[in-house]
Amino acid sequence: MLERVVAVAALVLVVVFSFAIDGFATLGNLRVILTNSASLAILSCGMAAVIISRGLDLSLIAQMIAGALVFSFLVIGGTSTGISMLVALGAMLLLGVMNAWLIAYVEIPAMLATLASSMFITGLFRNTILDGGFMILLPRSNPTVAFLSGDLLPGLSVSVALMLVIFAFTWLLLTATTTGRIVQAMGDNFQAARLSGLPVRTTTIAVYVFAALTALLAGLITSSASGAVDFRTVTNGTLLFDVILVVVLGGIPLRGGRGSVRNIIVGLALIAVLRNGMTLMNFTTQTQDMLKGLILIVAIVTDNYLNPRDAETDTAGDL
Amino acid sequence: MIASFDFNSLPKQRVPRLVISPRRIVGDLLSKGWIENAIPFLALLLVVGGILASTDGYFDAANLRNLSQYAADGGLVMLALLIVVAVGGIDLSVGSNFAMSAFVALLCFHILELPVPVVLLATLATGMSIGVANGVIAGLLGCGALLTTLGTMITVRGLYTLLSQAWLVDISKSARLDDWWDWVGFEKVLTMPVGFWVLVVVAASVFVLFRQTRFGWHILAVGSNRKAARHGGIGVRRTIFVSYVMAGALVGLSAFLFAARQNAISADTGIGMEFFVLTALVVGLGGFVPGRGAVIPALIGFATIYILNNYLINAGYRGDFVLLSMGAIIIVILGIDVKFRKNRHRLLASTYLDPVAFEPAAVQGMEGMMPTDAPPRLAAAEIIASGQVDGPEDVLLDADGNIYCGTRDGRLLKIAAPDHTEVSVFARIGGRPLGLAFDREGRIVVCVAGMGLVRVSTDGAVDLLTDQTARSVFSVQDDTVIRMADDLDIAPDGTIYFTDATKRYDIESWGLDLLEGRPNGRLLAYDPATRRTRTVCDNLRFPNGVCLTHDGRHLLVASTWDCSIMIFDLARLSDGPRVFLGGLPGYPDNVNRSSDGGYWVALAGMRNPVFDEAMRHPGLRRRMTRRVPPTNWLFGNLNIGGVLKIDGRGEIVEALWDAPDGPLYAITSMREHGGALYLGGVSNDKIGRLKLEGTDRTWNGPDSYWGKGR
Repeated sequence: MLERVVAVAALVLVVVFSFAIDGFATLGNLRVILTNSASLAILSCGMAAVIISRGLDLSLIAQMIAGALVFSFLVIGGTSTGISMLVALGAMLLLGVMNAWLIAYVEIPAMLATLASSMFITGLFRNTILDGGFMILLPRSNPTVAFLSGDLLPGLSVSVALMLVIFAFTWLLLTATTTGRIVQAMGDNFQAARLSGLPVRTTTIAVYVFAALTALLAGLITSSASGAVDFRTVTNGTLLFDVILVVVLGGIPLRGGRGSVRNIIVGLALIAVLRNGMTLMNFTTQTQDMLKGLILIVAIVTDNYLNPRDAETDTAGDL
Repeated sequence: MIASFDFNSLPKQRVPRLVISPRRIVGDLLSKGWIENAIPFLALLLVVGGILASTDGYFDAANLRNLSQYAADGGLVMLALLIVVAVGGIDLSVGSNFAMSAFVALLCFHILELPVPVVLLATLATGMSIGVANGVIAGLLGCGALLTTLGTMITVRGLYTLLSQAWLVDISKSARLDDWWDWVGFEKVLTMPVGFWVLVVVAASVFVLFRQTRFGWHILAVGSNRKAARHGGIGVRRTIFVSYVMAGALVGLSAFLFAARQNAISADTGIGMEFFVLTALVVGLGGFVPGRGAVIPALIGFATIYILNNYLINAGYRGDFVLLSMGAIIIVILGIDVKFRKNRHRLLASTYLDPVAFEPAAVQGMEGMMPTDAPPRLAAAEIIASGQVDGPEDVLLDADGNIYCGTRDGRLLKIAAPDHTEVSVFARIGGRPLGLAFDREGRIVVCVAGMGLVRVSTDGAVDLLTDQTARSVFSVQDDTVIRMADDLDIAPDGTIYFTDATKRYDIESWGLDLLEGRPNGRLLAYDPATRRTRTVCDNLRFPNGVCLTHDGRHLLVASTWDCSIMIFDLARLSDGPRVFLGGLPGYPDNVNRSSDGGYWVALAGMRNPVFDEAMRHPGLRRRMTRRVPPTNWLFGNLNIGGVLKIDGRGEIVEALWDAPDGPLYAITSMREHGGALYLGGVSNDKIGRLKLEGTDRTWNGPDSYWGKGR
């Protein structure tokens, strides 16, 4: 229900911006919007899968930067692209398994586990690879970097193509695989899923590893586009907030249990159009943040009005 | 004729003064409520210990003062978060709120040049207004707390950045000085900074709020179970709203202290604060626990995280290393804590039972009287009140022949003489009534397992005489309460001697006490004149039946697991017990007088060589209770038992056995009355009556104790 409201709001915004802002309703701007929101979309897919399984991954941005860092560091050091990619994939696999292990086996609540692992990941990679620094610059000359920031076909950038691939993959994962069904069941009623013998622990591993891999991809796209891997994205950035915003505005409840790629696309449409419009209108970052915060509040109040909580089934700790 | 014994020539019964067992101490500690907080507390000790070992002077007075000055901000914000988490919410906006309130404080002080009290009020109002926003959306409207406060966090942060950028230069140029402002920021009261005292006062208030006030209890109720709180008539939404507003006010207070001290704000004021205090809170509470307003554990968690963070930075470690180690340490603390909480009851179950080796004396004095040698005479007993009683552990007869007995469901029944067919409820006591005795006034004093010592008047009114005694020295577990009052007898001076069979198990798990085989029981005395209860002798092995000797100067106490009967000299109780009769063939329960100057001893069950051997091997019993299902445990033989008759010198003269096929089982008590023996059993639904040949048909218990001419 919220999804429809948000979709309508996005359409209204498109119409308003088309009339109000010069150069908004052009094909070039559409391409900019799509390219700029590719990494956000890919991250949102990972986060959505985690949230649908009634988890939360606050370490997603830290993983994203860490993955990009591993790859860039090796590439700069002269390792071949293929091996760098494999090592980065291995690192992400480890991070995803670590998160899932803390949540599914040690049984630390997901929010706290990933909050701590976010600190741990940031500290670990800055300490070991960057030797205390914040960032590393990527050579534009590197073929992979050039490929990722370039165009696949005329009018279709590689990042947008990757976004579409991830959308398709997520859709398949959530609707056509057993894992996807188990993810939905876990989010709907975790205890029931566990007691009926579903492999909730291994599925948790799958979900968090998937999130880690989307983070790697998003990290590669972002850093190729900007030419830098910067850990300040983790601490100062509102990227994590944007990701949660996309998922929630799309209508996926934080308690999980339902949601699909359609929800992500709807949430993404609103945020992407809004970001683009506000940037074209020369709003400062702070004003944009403030407006996004207000939109989130309006959205959850609307959602609460459309789907009021049942006071009889409402439980404490249901955040 | 009263046969005599010489007390001084009887062998002494060894009674340990103190029972110390490492496993028992661990088990007792694990059953304490405060053990939940052990992991955060240990973490704090480790951090402090580690710092002490690796640096000099970190904990000297100047640095502590310094620490407490800066800690006050975070501590207050953590208490704010504690309130919100206790009501079942979360507040991510505390960092933004903190920055915003600090900005308002500086704006009011430096630009508007308001007096300091007004600045304080304005700051509090700012904090509260953001709390109101959260409270309206998350409380009154009932939206999800995480998203709501995420939204206010981002919105307020944006607003703060815009406003502070506009005024930052003006604020830093201001040169306004004010004594009150500097007093708040820099002055020390009783050697500690003002902020520290504010934290102390607020922490104490929050403590009182959760412990003593109605509203605090409402918060905890809503946080524990929102639905139950609503059904209980608590205004759930209003409670949540007020909690957020209170939290906002605390954040405002914290920001006021910060502003007065720093006199400056920057773009990153309060950034990451929500995660820092959330971490501290979570480490203190051992997870994200709604409905728990534990101020002291939360402060311990805060101290751990704050000191650790501060130490790492002061020691010159790089920011990235600090981040790495904080993340790792938090994961480790949380992981250990989660696992400890989850497995605590298992650990407790596997350590609580603490068997010890002991060896009861070999069976003696039973030649020609064992069940294999004689026919089961109790098989011929006449049955009274079949199906109308339930578990008469003890039976008591008054001079007129009315029978009184307790039942499993806590009633005291009266079975009227002479034909013993009419059963009526004499009193409703509760608990599990066990031993019975008449006092001089004809009132019945009852030992009630789970309650204590109870007196029932002739009209059926129930008085609780005592339910506790002095706590024994060096006990980890509080053994003040009388857990399993078992049997009693009353001395001529009115003192009631009674046994507390075990301090460690409730009546439904009395069998575990046998498997443990430790001296867990005690003999107590209640003096009706002073209404005082005292422990006569602690550390006895399942002291059970109590019987005053015919001369009224000694006390017989059956020790069930020891298969013996001890004797105390009432004039010299502190000398401890001696062994009146050892090496019984079974487990003695109640002991009562017989008409010819001897005593009857009920044997609830029989010893067997296998179980006697098992009692020598505590490891065997421990492994058995851990690995074998309870139905397959080795145990004493409860299929057969009976009654022994002993004479006044402690010699066994006669044995009356029950038959394995009934009708009576596990005899726990017998009373002689008018030439017959009345038999009760803790698991029977009937009372037995056995005619005795050649006994005094006019003898009865009350007259034997209190004389005929009462």
